[in-house]
Formats: sequence, structure tokens, C-alpha cells
Amino acid sequence: MTTSRDNNKIKSIVKACRLITRMVQAEPDHRKSQVLYYQMLSKYFTRLLNAHEQGDFVAAHTVFFPSELIYAMDLVPMHTETSTWMTALFTGECDDILSEGSNLGLASEICTPHRGLAGAYSLGVLPRPDVMLWSNMVCDNTAKSGELIMELCDCPGFFIDRPFKDSQREIEYLTGELEDMVHFLEQQSGKKMDWERLSEIVGRMDRQIELVRQINEMRKAVPTPFSAMGFLELVTIDYLFPGQPEAIEYLQTLLGELQEMVRQGKGAVPDERFRLMTLFIPPMYLMTSLEKMAREYGAVSVIEPFFTYWGEGRLDASRPLESVAKKSYLIPEMRMYGPMDDRALNSITDCARDYKIDGAVYYADVGCRHSCATIKLFKDTLNDIDIPVLTLDCDVVDQTATSEEEIKEKLEQFFELLEDR
Amino acid sequence: MTPENTANQNIIELKSLDKFREINRDFPRTKLLQEHKDSGGKIFGWLCTYIPEEIIHAAGILPIRIVGHSRETDLDEGTAYLYVNNCSFSRSCLQLGLQGEYDFLDGVAGGSTCDGARRLFDLWRNYIGTPFHHILTVPRKYTKKAHELYLYEVEQFTCHLEEFLGFKITDEALLASINIYNETRQLLMQLYEYRKRDNPPITGAETMDVLNASFRMPKEVFNDWLRELLEEIASSGIEHKHRARLMLVGSVLTNTEFIKSIEDQRGLVVTDELCTSTRYWTDPVVIDDRISLREAVARRYLNNFPCARMFPSDERFNRIMQFAQDYRVDGVISQIVRYCVPYCHDLPLLTRKLKAKGIPILALDVEYGTSGSGQIATRVQAFMEMLEARKK
Repeated sequence: MTTSRDNNKIKSIVKACRLITRMVQAEPDHRKSQVLYYQMLSKYFTRLLNAHEQGDFVAAHTVFFPSELIYAMDLVPMHTETSTWMTALFTGECDDILSEGSNLGLASEICTPHRGLAGAYSLGVLPRPDVMLWSNMVCDNTAKSGELIMELCDCPGFFIDRPFKDSQREIEYLTGELEDMVHFLEQQSGKKMDWERLSEIVGRMDRQIELVRQINEMRKAVPTPFSAMGFLELVTIDYLFPGQPEAIEYLQTLLGELQEMVRQGKGAVPDERFRLMTLFIPPMYLMTSLEKMAREYGAVSVIEPFFTYWGEGRLDASRPLESVAKKSYLIPEMRMYGPMDDRALNSITDCARDYKIDGAVYYADVGCRHSCATIKLFKDTLNDIDIPVLTLDCDVVDQTATSEEEIKEKLEQFFELLEDR
Repeated sequence: MTPENTANQNIIELKSLDKFREINRDFPRTKLLQEHKDSGGKIFGWLCTYIPEEIIHAAGILPIRIVGHSRETDLDEGTAYLYVNNCSFSRSCLQLGLQGEYDFLDGVAGGSTCDGARRLFDLWRNYIGTPFHHILTVPRKYTKKAHELYLYEVEQFTCHLEEFLGFKITDEALLASINIYNETRQLLMQLYEYRKRDNPPITGAETMDVLNASFRMPKEVFNDWLRELLEEIASSGIEHKHRARLMLVGSVLTNTEFIKSIEDQRGLVVTDELCTSTRYWTDPVVIDDRISLREAVARRYLNNFPCARMFPSDERFNRIMQFAQDYRVDGVISQIVRYCVPYCHDLPLLTRKLKAKGIPILALDVEYGTSGSGQIATRVQAFMEMLEARKK
């Protein structure tokens, strides 16, 4: 299977990133970190686009997969779900890949990032991977998506079985899984793991986590300095650039910008009125509208317990593989995907208090059943400390799930409710 | 329905089935469970087939499976808690729990098996006051390391249970429990052997009556009842004629009406691959002097007829293919409960494999508890006609 150059989704993403970079640079008061961000995206997808022509080995992998190992072996990573999200974000068009996913026999209950992904590979609008790597870090969709892609792309694959809980015994098991995967990648790619390089990456990843923690400290300020949907940059940086020098550069630049804004008492929106907690990923195709609404209503997301709020702990560069395994239990999202015990629920109330939250917005992605199953729990937990929660039914990729008007109307009503309080 | 359209025409009913049906009709408020509680016994509910029942049983506790309404019903409460995009099985189970139907339970055990099961466990723990809760990490692979991890999890579960009870579970007790459960498996195997006949003496719906009861009552009593049934079948002379031999595959199913609606069109379900049927009972615990009894139990549960959650999926597909051959099936009906994502992902791959072997498949997207009427019946009818046309 070859990539269809006429409708190459990666090509469209690269084009859009370059255009946005120029647009951001043209704004007089632009954020330098934002320019860096789009340049990084452009570089990531350009490398992927040209990988086969340059004789590089492409390793496709699902979300939260430890791509530190892929980087350390100098292979080209391809984050599968992000490729679908970015297609929705930058092209606004996913109908073709979603409908092809359905033609393959994938039911509509399978989330759109994965249905669209299978459809995209089937249509040949994404680069064919040399290997498919996937895991059960998150949900059944990630755990089950790999085998069909292996068949569609006629490529070998490796599945990482990540234990549910975070006992030492389970971290050891995951470390063993990572070891097995390294052997698999060495066999398939003909390249050897560069352990020294992996240690450097892990060391930088530790720094990266620390920088995000410092950025979050800045976000506690009133008014908060980071843009309403800016947290998605932090999420993407973690997904695509774990332990990469450009990630450190971006985060340091952003931290400096936020420190300066806090020093000057400047907020991300002109008149901050509502400090929000975001409880899931907003629809990608609505980013521009949501940013606009945030400025109009003075509503800004100041913390996302399951996307930017890292668990406690450090990574040890002298034990790189164990640290990569351990990281999978520190990732903010894993607080939601692991056992939903007091530890997980307390982190929400801690965030609500520490970040002085007025309300929370839960983007209930219709395809994400395990996250939606927590809505009632989170709502009750936050209601107990008098924080109202808005639940918005939507789909992270599919525009037909909910209309833009409906989402805007519900947000407006929620802001009115917060105003009345 | 005309008489010629039914699988059960002029058939003598198996009287031994009545007792199983009574259990299923009254569950979870059955006389047997009430008597067990009245005599001071404890009852634990388990949420998935990867929970080692023998460990609970060896602790002197009666394990039963938590299931939902085995019929079509509104799931308002379950949906309010688990949201509409969680599978209707989980929502149905939770609804019964929230309504107090399982308030006699002393404990609940779940596994990290699928999103629906683990979220059901989360909400059960948070909103239903069952005294004991435990969730096991269940690996998705069959490697040596995966077996070691699962054994560790089984041991952790055992320790937690012993702490809760205040006494140790002995090897003698565990061995006795293994023997009882293995006997259940061996008796069910005998029942399934009858289904291999040209005109089997038991229908798929009747078999489901037996299976449903198997996880809703003490195994000791169940084994006695099943032996009686097997004796009755042996002397009954019953033969179910049919238009096609079918295999039912997919996610959880407890409503016998669903199978009956297929069999009313004379498609006889001769075997199945469901988490309430063969995936629950097929493999025995193999006792081996070189390993501990707990390890034998752990091995059995991880190696058992796999659920779609396991990797690689071929382990499941190969077993299905073997069953299709052993039971000489003409076609396969896949029934997947909506939002049962692991099975949704397997479906395109399984369809290709079955087609390569010349076995047609009908894929039904259903809600848990559905009776199989309306649109489903129409699709089954068309499938039956297609199977018949192939035979000509």
C-alpha cells in the first residue's frame, strides 16, 4: 500500500502548520512559544511525510505509547490518534476516513480517532508504517486497534500490555514489556537501541514534567496568564515530543512568557471572569470558536487534572527503561484511566481549590465510553465542594455529532449560571 | 408462527429444565441465595469471567455472577450513572445494584478486563455499599511474565480476602473447590457433546437456561441438577430438526428469548462463544504437582477460552474456527452489545477469517437483554434463507 499523494492528510497538516506559523508571526503581540509550537508540529509531520523517501523507518504508535524508545533508536514516530485529531483540526474534514472506517466493518461505537485511523490507512492517505506499536494505555480502543492496522498495512506489530495498577510488581512487568519491544524494534529496523541516548531523553523528560509543573504554578495566578485552550499545546508536546530538546525550548519559552505576564499582572483574556477546569478534550474543529468565546466571556481553562496535572514523582535517567515504565503511571491522563479511587477523586478537588475554580466543563466525547462513565462521579465530587459542572455531548473529531451552535448555546447558559452565582 | 417454523415442534419438554428456569426467573432474589444468607453464609458477586471463582468458593463464600435484567427494559438509572455510551450490560448491572437488588452481597470482585467492567466496578464501589471490593489486574497476554503477574494478582486477592475474613484459605479447601468447579465443566462438556449430534436433543435456548443458572447458584446443587438433566436427555429420544446449524458468538447474553427467536425460525444454535457460555466454563483447572493450587487456578483463568480483550486475537479466532468445525455449523451469528468495543474491533477480522473458510456470518448490533424481535428477526430470517439457498 502506498500513500495517496493527492489526498495525503500529513501533507495537509504540514501545509496548515506552516500557514498558521506565518499568521501567528504576523500578529504584533504574538507569543513566541506559539510560533515554536507550530514550527515543531510542522517539523514533526514533515519528517513523517518524507520518511520513506529518505529511507527512514516509520514506527506508528497509539496514544501514551512510550515514544522515548522510538526516538532513542532514531526511528520516525507516527502518533496515530494525533494524526486523526490534527486532520480534523487543520483540515476540518474527516468524513472520508470515517466513512471508510465504517466500510471496513468498524461499528459506529468505535471512537472516531480509531475508526478514522483505520479508514485513513485503508484509503492510503497516511504514510504506511513499517511497524505498528500499540498498547492498552487508556482504553479498549487503543488496546484493540493494532491488529486491523497490521492487516491493512501489511506490517508487523508489537502490543505492550500495560498493567492496570501501579504496584512495583506491575511496573516491573511493564519494564519487561518495554524490553521485549526494544528487541522487536531492533529486529525489525536493523537499528540498535542507543541506551545513552535513551538516558538523555529520560533526563530531559524529567525536566519536561518539571517545567509543566512550573507552568501550572503560573496558571494559578489571578488573572491566569495562559490562553483558554493553550493547554492543548502542553498535551501535544507531551504526545509528540517526549524528552526532545525542542520540547524543553518550547516549555522554557512559555514559562518565561507566563512569568513575565504574572509579574505584570496580565491575564490571558482581557477581563477574567470565570476560571474553568476542563475535564476532557474539546472538539478539535471548534478550537477557534472556543478561544473566541473565552475572550468574549472572560472564561479560561486554568487546570485540566487529567491532561496537564502530572502525578508526583521523578524519572531517573540512570534507570531509563524503568523510568519510561514509571512515567506511564505519572501521566495526568492515567489518573483517569487507572483505578478510580480516592486518590483520583481527591486530585480533582485539590485542583479545584488550588486553582480557584468557578466551574468545570466536561466535554463528553460520545466515542469515549470509559471517560464518560466518570461524569457522574466527577460531577458529584465537584458538586460536593460547590463547583458546578457543565456536560457537553460532542465528538473530538466528527463535526456531525453536535452542532457548533448547540455547544456555544450551552456554554453561554453555563456562563450565565456562573455569573448569577 | 406456524408449527413447521419452530425448532421445537412435537417435542417433549425436558422437565429437568424447570428448576434452572425458576432460578433464572427469580434471580437475584432466589430461594437458594436467601437460604444461604439465612444460614449465615456470605455471598460475593463477580463482574467478569477472569475472576477466579474457586478462590472465593474455597473461602467458604458463595460466588455468583452479577448480571443485569435479562429482558428489554429502560435503563434510566444505569444510564444516569454510567452514561449512555457505556454498554447496556454494565448499565443494567449497575441499575440493579443501585435499586438494591444485590444488597445481600458481602463483596464484589472485578478485573481490569474491559472499560465497561472496570467502570462498573468503579461506580459500584463508589455508590453501592457492598462491604468488600477488589479489582485484579488481568494481563492481556499469555506470556510467562503475564502468567507470573496474574498469579501475583490472584495471591493479592487471596490475601485481601483472608484479611477480610480473618482466616486463611487452606489448600484442602481450594482443592475441594477446584474439584467441584471442574465437575461443573465436565458435566457441561457432556451437555455440549449432545449438541454435536445431527439432530441435537437440546436447543440453544434451553442450553442457555442451564448456563444462566450455572453462575447464579451454588455449584454443588447445580451439578446435581445438571446430572439429572443429562440423565433425562439420555433417555428422552428428543431430536431437534432444523434448517441450519448455527453458532452464536460475541459479547454477553442472558436472555434466552433472543436465542429462541432464532430457533423459532428453525435455525438451531448448536454451539456458542459468549462470556456467559463457553468462555465461562470450557477449560478445567489442571492440577499439576509441580505448581501450587493457586498457580493452577491462575493459569486456568488466563489461558481460558479468551475474551476479545486478549492478545493476539487469533487465540480467540482459532477456537471459534475449531468449534465451527466440531459442531459442523452452517453459519455464525455475531451478537455484539452496543459499545462492547473489544468485540466491535474483532468483527472485521473475524468476518474475513470465517469467509475464508466459507462460513457466512450475520452481524447483529444489539442491546443487552434484547429479545431478538422486529428488525433482528427479519435479518435472521434473511440469513436463514441465504443459508438454505447455499445448501441447494
